[in-house]
Amino acid sequence: MKHWFKSGKPWIWLTAGAVSVSLIAVLGLMAMIAWRGLSFFWPAAIHEIEVRANDGTTQTIIGEIYDSEEIPIQRLQESGVQLDNFDEPTLRRILLKVGNREYVPLDFAWIMVPQIVRDETPADLARLERSKDGNFYGYVAAVLENGEPVATEGDASLRDELDRRIERAVEIGEEADALQSSEIGAINYQLNQLRLERRRLELSDQLTLEAEQAIEEREQALRDEYQELEKELFALREQANRDAVVMRDMRGVEVTLPMYRILGATFPNDMSLFAEIGHFFKQIGNFVSEDPREANTDGGVFPAIFGTVFMVLLMSVLVTPFGVIAAIYLHEYAGRNAITRLIRIAVINLAGVPSIVYGVFGLGFFVYMVGGSLDQIFYPEALPSPTFGTPGVMWSAITLAILTLPVVIVSTEEGLSRIPSTLREGSLALGATKAETLWRIILPMASPAIMTGLILAVARAAGEVAPLMLVGVVKSAPMLPVDGNFPYFHLDRKFMHLGFHIYDVGFQSPNVEAARPLVYATSFLLVTVIVGLNLTAIGVRNHLREKYRSLEH
Amino acid sequence: MISVTPTSSQAEVLDLENLTAEQTALEIRNLNLHYGEAQALYDISMNIPKNRVTAFIGPSGCGKSTLLRCINRMNDLVEIARTSGEIRLHEKNIYDKDVDAAALRRRIGMVFQRPNPFPKSIYENVVYGMRLQGVNDRRTLDEVVERSLKGAALWEEVKDRLNASAFGLSGGQQQRLVIARAIAIEPEVLLLDEPTSALDPISTLTIEELITELKSKYTVVIVTHNMQQAARVSDQTAFMYMGKLIEYADTNTLFTTPEKKQTEDYITGRYG
Repeated sequence: MKHWFKSGKPWIWLTAGAVSVSLIAVLGLMAMIAWRGLSFFWPAAIHEIEVRANDGTTQTIIGEIYDSEEIPIQRLQESGVQLDNFDEPTLRRILLKVGNREYVPLDFAWIMVPQIVRDETPADLARLERSKDGNFYGYVAAVLENGEPVATEGDASLRDELDRRIERAVEIGEEADALQSSEIGAINYQLNQLRLERRRLELSDQLTLEAEQAIEEREQALRDEYQELEKELFALREQANRDAVVMRDMRGVEVTLPMYRILGATFPNDMSLFAEIGHFFKQIGNFVSEDPREANTDGGVFPAIFGTVFMVLLMSVLVTPFGVIAAIYLHEYAGRNAITRLIRIAVINLAGVPSIVYGVFGLGFFVYMVGGSLDQIFYPEALPSPTFGTPGVMWSAITLAILTLPVVIVSTEEGLSRIPSTLREGSLALGATKAETLWRIILPMASPAIMTGLILAVARAAGEVAPLMLVGVVKSAPMLPVDGNFPYFHLDRKFMHLGFHIYDVGFQSPNVEAARPLVYATSFLLVTVIVGLNLTAIGVRNHLREKYRSLEH
Repeated sequence: MISVTPTSSQAEVLDLENLTAEQTALEIRNLNLHYGEAQALYDISMNIPKNRVTAFIGPSGCGKSTLLRCINRMNDLVEIARTSGEIRLHEKNIYDKDVDAAALRRRIGMVFQRPNPFPKSIYENVVYGMRLQGVNDRRTLDEVVERSLKGAALWEEVKDRLNASAFGLSGGQQQRLVIARAIAIEPEVLLLDEPTSALDPISTLTIEELITELKSKYTVVIVTHNMQQAARVSDQTAFMYMGKLIEYADTNTLFTTPEKKQTEDYITGRYG
């Protein structure tokens, strides 16, 4: 035993064990988030379950099995649920997502397993995805055109008719959305710009009669255009109103749903594995490419992905030059004395300041002081409504740039000190000045280290939520910070962020059960986005490393 | 005990104390150098003749490299280094206030102990000094590259891969590349700081042959640990010990009939 200890083997086991635990932790985390997030997109079977309650009445419930748990019967009894002929200490209950939010009091229902008398998965059960009120589960009774049925239950053409008409409705809906957001949006934007222009002229006392008239003419032209587009929009809506579908829900009641509210119909109980896989990937595609619906509890997260990536890129553009320049001064020019050491310690400690403190600083300094002053100087026509004097994507990027500045400075400095002094001397000996040496030799060689700093900065910034809540993130942003209206980048706008989206969906949502899988899915997506950003940066770094690979100095 | 047979065949023996103006490349006068409190060079005076190879020899830490680095003011980079005395290049003290160190280093090139090519292509390494001077004309640069690489006896080996990374070359080739880089800007003096100490014997031989050729165009000053090398390549040799110049004479004379006891002890291998 003593010999075994002396051999150093326990030490190897200990170190290897530590690595294994870390690996299991990381992989376990990823696996759990991925499983729970991704399984949400898999088409779950729809069950039709008959339940006999304690008083002998039976009830049919249709829905997807969402969760199941074992609970002590005592707890049920305490909450007033009585079960006859049942004396085991625990029982199983399942959570069913029943949807049909506008027709039933709760779109989720708990069912005691012992009360189930029948559990089937009929092939004709359909799930309708809707733009409002969540999913609808039930049997398709008929498809209507202008109120007249074109196919009814039992017709072979029923599903085809349904699919075709949904597709048509979705296309018209997309057309209407595009019209509304791009063309009508552009007119609104221009009208607002004209309003600001008039106000600007007014403020500078240059609003002559001619100018006023010119503006009015342009406004009138825009309004006319608006009228045209609005007519077009109404026509589209009219068209979309043509079809409807009659559904028989779990109560046996037939309800008519307008087709334009329906985004897709699936019959998950009647799907081949191949169709299921296709559906799975289509759902994921929708999730990453669509806007959120229903107070973020449904739909996609595209604006949040866009906001996260855009803000991180903006931050990188800001933090890299600043950090590199600061590191160059500290390493190359500052005297090696107590003050430099003090500054370096201060910079390193800056990395330890809690991020919410940066948020408070950003709000107080950037948003109110700097932004407020910018508004006074450059945007007086818009006051009292602020332009930059309110949280926005630019302030978020700047705040996070300051947050990540120490990381970039420290790794750049390390990179600078790793460059062999013989190379500096070689350059100086050829008549280069210090600045020329820096620019031509040192900085290119330090670029992999700068990239390392940037990678760490991106990893930290992309996951940061707390400061953003103060300086620019919102739960729902009507417009992306980049669009087709000049000047294309609107850095004053607020934006959505995946990290905040997780918080919002998970904690601020009116419908907890519906939101839960979205929390996992969004978390998984956030990790994927950060990993993606990092892999890009690592790829660039490896390329640079290869390029400036120095010999074994 | 090492026996050293001088092999260099020098034409004429110069009177090192009294060189004429056109025979002189550098004059060092009463040079002292301190690193903080410690003195590294003591009152060194010597004349370095033009178009000849001068070797500095001596045991480790004797100050020979320090002296060499004084000649192109590389010691300026060491914050705690202070110099007094003069080094004159064309009658002009290079330590005068109005002398630009970068401009000076273009006239006095230097090659270091370890090959230090830049992480660039062979071509870009050679033209680095030219580009610094703002020369970007492709034809001029091409000519410079060919002339310098031929001058450094590297042209034949690399002419087909000028755009390949300099790191792909062997150690000896890298050192010749660095020499080519130094002579590309046509300096007057070329300082070599133990240029072969990191190389294998065959590369060393190539470099030594190159040094002998270089002196037709440049004044060469070489620091070496290797006495045989000094004997083979140099025309005159300075022996330094503990920061002092002990003896400075024609190489043949120094190795065969040294005046000082210390010199004799060193070259016969009694210490060092």
